[in-house]
Amino acid sequence: MSDRVGLREAEDELLPPADWGRRDPVAPGTRAALVFGLLAAVLVLGRTWLAPLIDAGALDAWTTIFVAVCVQALPFLVFGVALSAAITAFVPASLWRRVLPRRPGAAVPAAGAMGAVLPGCECASVPVAGGLMARGVAPSAALTFLLAAPAINPVVMVATAVAFPGKPEMVVGRFAASLLVAVLVGWVWLLVGKGEWIRIPSRPEAHGKAGRAEAFRQAMRHDIVHAGGFLVVGAMAAATINVVVPAGWVNAAAGDAVVSVLLLALLAVLMSICSEADAFVAASLSQFSTTAKLTFLVVGPMVDLKLIALQAGFFGRRFAVRFVPLTFCLAVGVSVLVGGLLS
Amino acid sequence: MTRAAQNLLLVFLGAAVLWITLVSGEYVNYVRPGFRYPLVAAAVALLALGAAGLRREWRDAPGHDDGHPDHDHPDHDHPDHGHGHGHDHSRGPRVAWLLGLPVLAIFVIAPPALGSFSAARGTDRAAPPPAPPDDGFPPLSAAAGPVDMSVGEFIGRAHEAQTGDPAKLQGVPVRLTGFVTPAGKGRGGWQLTRMKIACCAGDAVPFPVRVRGVPQPPADSWVRVTGVWEPPRQSGRTVVQTLRAHSLREIEEPKNPYE
Repeated sequence: MSDRVGLREAEDELLPPADWGRRDPVAPGTRAALVFGLLAAVLVLGRTWLAPLIDAGALDAWTTIFVAVCVQALPFLVFGVALSAAITAFVPASLWRRVLPRRPGAAVPAAGAMGAVLPGCECASVPVAGGLMARGVAPSAALTFLLAAPAINPVVMVATAVAFPGKPEMVVGRFAASLLVAVLVGWVWLLVGKGEWIRIPSRPEAHGKAGRAEAFRQAMRHDIVHAGGFLVVGAMAAATINVVVPAGWVNAAAGDAVVSVLLLALLAVLMSICSEADAFVAASLSQFSTTAKLTFLVVGPMVDLKLIALQAGFFGRRFAVRFVPLTFCLAVGVSVLVGGLLS
Repeated sequence: MTRAAQNLLLVFLGAAVLWITLVSGEYVNYVRPGFRYPLVAAAVALLALGAAGLRREWRDAPGHDDGHPDHDHPDHDHPDHGHGHGHDHSRGPRVAWLLGLPVLAIFVIAPPALGSFSAARGTDRAAPPPAPPDDGFPPLSAAAGPVDMSVGEFIGRAHEAQTGDPAKLQGVPVRLTGFVTPAGKGRGGWQLTRMKIACCAGDAVPFPVRVRGVPQPPADSWVRVTGVWEPPRQSGRTVVQTLRAHSLREIEEPKNPYE
């Protein structure tokens, strides 16, 4: 509790001073309406006069990819956040303790198995895992769910099978390696993790029916602006990588076994593609070995720029600097092992 | 960031998504057409959430309540929240302002579908030849008029013909639709390209086809080219297939710019 207060103070310094923009004695409702009108006017004018003038290949491509990643992730974000807010506002805490085994050591693989059943997107699984923790599920089990849900759910397995026709070993390898990594991370976190590293997202307590609906609305708005801001950071980074990295580097590096695995792991982190789509990109990297492609598929849904930003936003920076390297190293190591067994 | 600003951002975000899905139809430049319905649902949810918040803000505003002199804490409309659990829910972090960027990008820049810039960047990692459907490509007849096919299908058939029986495609007139990408240095002709997206424009890979026999239209213009497959001269690893063109027509950008 005390470190949470400390974190709040640090965060408050980032905010504008309390009297910022409050000099006029206009009511916030009126001011909001004025700002709304002004912004709408700017947008309409920009659309009519400025939009036809801006035309440069690189800028267009950057903006298209930036908007595409944002637009693609938005519904998953909104409904993941809605699910998470609904869980916190309406589902009694006792339910989670009943579904998952009480011993955290057994709850970790159970949470991994839950991830194999529930279709979840990376963006959505972060707030859902936060909601699970806020409801008293052991952090290690919630983290295993966070890693497993986007990596091994049925949608992703089907996408992988479609992307690699006639190569079922890719689907099997992806499932086995991802589940193994998720469970191992959960167990490692259980053994060495400290509670103070995670800032468990707190929720306002709900009172009565109206209180619950209000709590749902508050939690949803709060999560969307938090996660959405970080999603935009990730989308900007992904667009920059896609437009700036020279494509020729890929061919040069594919020849070396070690370099190709590390490079694809790094690319998975930088490109931040959603797990439903990354199999198609991996299939297009035809110069690379099976092991390197498997690494790409295992690392991508678990560690990428967008996820790092989301995790830092939800659980705090102190969590992210420990969790991300642990997951990355385990993901690369397990992928190399499984890839070696397959080929 | 005040509650009012957060709610306004949600309203703008929802409006922007509704704009590209229902009004301008530009969403196909970014995601697959089937993604329209989840997008509309998400936009409506955002609008409802922001509007409910703004309505509450308006109702609880001190200026709205006659004779209420308290202007010092205009966003403390719920004094019972935001205290006691160490995490003030009335304010968002400054990073949340970035949510305004996609809104600005959609309205001010209106980014078009990926074109020759991305296609030229991606030539070294062109998409692999698409595999034929399970029961193989249906047979073609050279006698009937030109066959409309997607660029992906053409590349798949050409790859099959190149590695198997060339008679399956040779001499059959086909009609392809794509945009113009100028060839890189030291390569002949120009390329007709269609971008293939799996999920969103972020993972687009180009399907390029080299076109010979007709002069190059301006880069990025959309064309419909009729011609026949030209087998590669040496049977080595040819990545880009060639179309020997008979005729070319410039067209409007198709409704779905991707494959």
